[in-house]
Amino acid sequence: MAVTMRRRQRAPGRTFWAILAVPAVVWLAVFFVVPFYTVLAISGGYLNPFLQEPVAVWNPLQWSAANLDSLMRDITGAGAFIGPIVARTLVYVVAASVLSLLIGYPAAYFVARFAGRRKGLFLLLLIAPFWISYMMRMLAWIDLLQTGGYINRLLSLVGISPVNWLGGESVTVILGLAYGYIPYLILVLYAGLDRIDPRLIEAGRDLGLGRVRTFLRVTLPLSRQPILTGMLITVLPMLGDYFTNQMLSGTASTSMLGNVIDGQLETPGLQGQGAVLSMMMLTVLLVPMLYYVIATNRSSREAVS
Amino acid sequence: MRHPREGWSPEGSRQPGLSRRGFLRQGAAAGLLAGGIGTLLEACSSPSAGGPSSSGSAIPLARPNHPVTWPLYADNKPIKSGLQPEKNATLQIYNWVAYLNQQCVKDFEKKYNCKVQVTTFNTMSEAMSKLRTEQVKFDVFIPTIDVLGTLIESRILRPLNHSYIPNIHQAWPDFTNPFYDQKWQYTVPYTIYTTGIAWRKDYVHENPYTMANPWAMPWQAKYKGKVAILDDYRESISLGLMKDGIFNLNTTDPAQITQSQKALQDLSQLVNVHIDNNDYSNVPSGQIWIHHAWSGDMAAAPAYMPKGVSPDVIGYWFPPDGKGPVGNDTMAVLAGGENPVLAHLFLDYMLDLPNALTNISYNGYMQPLTAITPQRLVKEGLLIPSLISTAVLPSYFRRGVMELELPPAADALWQQAWLSVSKGI
Repeated sequence: MAVTMRRRQRAPGRTFWAILAVPAVVWLAVFFVVPFYTVLAISGGYLNPFLQEPVAVWNPLQWSAANLDSLMRDITGAGAFIGPIVARTLVYVVAASVLSLLIGYPAAYFVARFAGRRKGLFLLLLIAPFWISYMMRMLAWIDLLQTGGYINRLLSLVGISPVNWLGGESVTVILGLAYGYIPYLILVLYAGLDRIDPRLIEAGRDLGLGRVRTFLRVTLPLSRQPILTGMLITVLPMLGDYFTNQMLSGTASTSMLGNVIDGQLETPGLQGQGAVLSMMMLTVLLVPMLYYVIATNRSSREAVS
Repeated sequence: MRHPREGWSPEGSRQPGLSRRGFLRQGAAAGLLAGGIGTLLEACSSPSAGGPSSSGSAIPLARPNHPVTWPLYADNKPIKSGLQPEKNATLQIYNWVAYLNQQCVKDFEKKYNCKVQVTTFNTMSEAMSKLRTEQVKFDVFIPTIDVLGTLIESRILRPLNHSYIPNIHQAWPDFTNPFYDQKWQYTVPYTIYTTGIAWRKDYVHENPYTMANPWAMPWQAKYKGKVAILDDYRESISLGLMKDGIFNLNTTDPAQITQSQKALQDLSQLVNVHIDNNDYSNVPSGQIWIHHAWSGDMAAAPAYMPKGVSPDVIGYWFPPDGKGPVGNDTMAVLAGGENPVLAHLFLDYMLDLPNALTNISYNGYMQPLTAITPQRLVKEGLLIPSLISTAVLPSYFRRGVMELELPPAADALWQQAWLSVSKGI
């Protein structure tokens, strides 16, 4: 009932709202739909053998499975090498996400609940990493971690022999991923945690729950949605990341799916397969996205009722 | 294969996909070779005129023992002799990133009272697609050898009028009749380079000059984590081939390509090999001790030494007999340009010794002029004596092996092998 009424009220202004939506629709069409369709057209296209360049086929009826076939050979065929990389990518991303959450949640919780008058300052500090380009932050890590770098010098002070952090260590890549994406997570978590009505927490305490149980029974369930959003926002780019890995490792032993796609796109003749692999990843990633949309809808419906 | 300038960046640090100097993706930059093992022809070469040809096209693949004389077309004639340079002109140069000393540009502007506009590209394929659109009016271009056929057949390059380029006589004689452009109808030489092994003398106690097989130097478990190979499918697969004594770096034999892939995968297992093109900064910083490297990069490496470390600790090995990978770039005039006379004069200008030296002082890569000897480079302070091995000698181009354009099917094998090595396992 309430829904229909609201809809009716909005009706007179429909044109107005439609006009307001135009820039966003144009933006999406130009910068999302067109590139997306181009990738599809390249996936279904063929190779110009003379120029070793992919040729996009725009008519879906004429798409060929040639690129898909060659990619499947890399995945399942005799010379398959992508399988272990998929596993490694998942391990890295899960490890980095859990680490980010373990670090990010308390930080966001602190700012949202206990920062008091200094909340503005802390928010500023949380946003500060965005002022520096991702590449610069990774370059800074290289300085910190290299053989004669600060971390190793610090370690040697405590009597630990230098670690070759940049020599293809999984740990370095996972730490780099966590470091790179954690600001997004904290901001999202903060926005969600800040909205939790403190009275609910107080009520929990008043009803005799201890600190830990208040957190577990009240705060944590209420922060389920922000955690989900935050994880989605960090996990998706981490899955496609090739950059962190290339900067902090540069060896085949740590390569992730993003690196494979990067390699395919840089290799003449393999761009088509890279396009297929990108589409495959996208299809797989749609699952958590859809789940997120459904979960958000459900929770907002719960909030309304 | 990439190019030494692909994705160049000034930071001197590792960057994603943008390594400072890679090689052109599609094919090799090549040089002169008048004999030697590298001249073996592919088994699958077709019998078309002028040498082996890419399947699906009539454009011949230039090889040292199959030199190519490119056709001259009636609709693409050289400019007439004796013309005056264009007035109030802006010469448009289309070049790799950071591959030309700005000082040379300024001096040229002053000398010929014109403006020069340098536009840069990061990969040869990027440049090729831009040139094919014919929307751009560039005058001078720096093509690699493997794309010459395409450029000439498409009438993108203008044939040269030699009367404007007297300084060609300063170049090594071999370059006045190169196999990739007989009678230098379309190109003059630009830079030259070798691929070898760089090592830190203070950490690595083997000396490649006394080793039985220096190409195998990276395969040493005790240097785990301290070994790197170039991020370049032609260079690295070639390293795998040479390690096993195969010096046909344009092989189309799947067994040999697989053998190299295996060798490199072993290397990956053995030392967790690093894959990057930052030889010029990673060796000075001590991050890497044994680096498969380009000569020009290592000539520039002393500038990246940390404070207090002598640049003498860096060594560069290239086979003293010259039997290793060599290559060169060219300069050409574009047919679509509006200032062909100035373009010719610019080619001539860069072949003049003082200007070439100014240019080398900036970009590290040598130019093949007779007067530029290793001793001269040292004397001019452009090279430190301990890295004199990075200098390229004319004999290298006679004995060396070149990574040249491959037939597409073989090229795909090379790329697939490299993808498995660099991203797989």
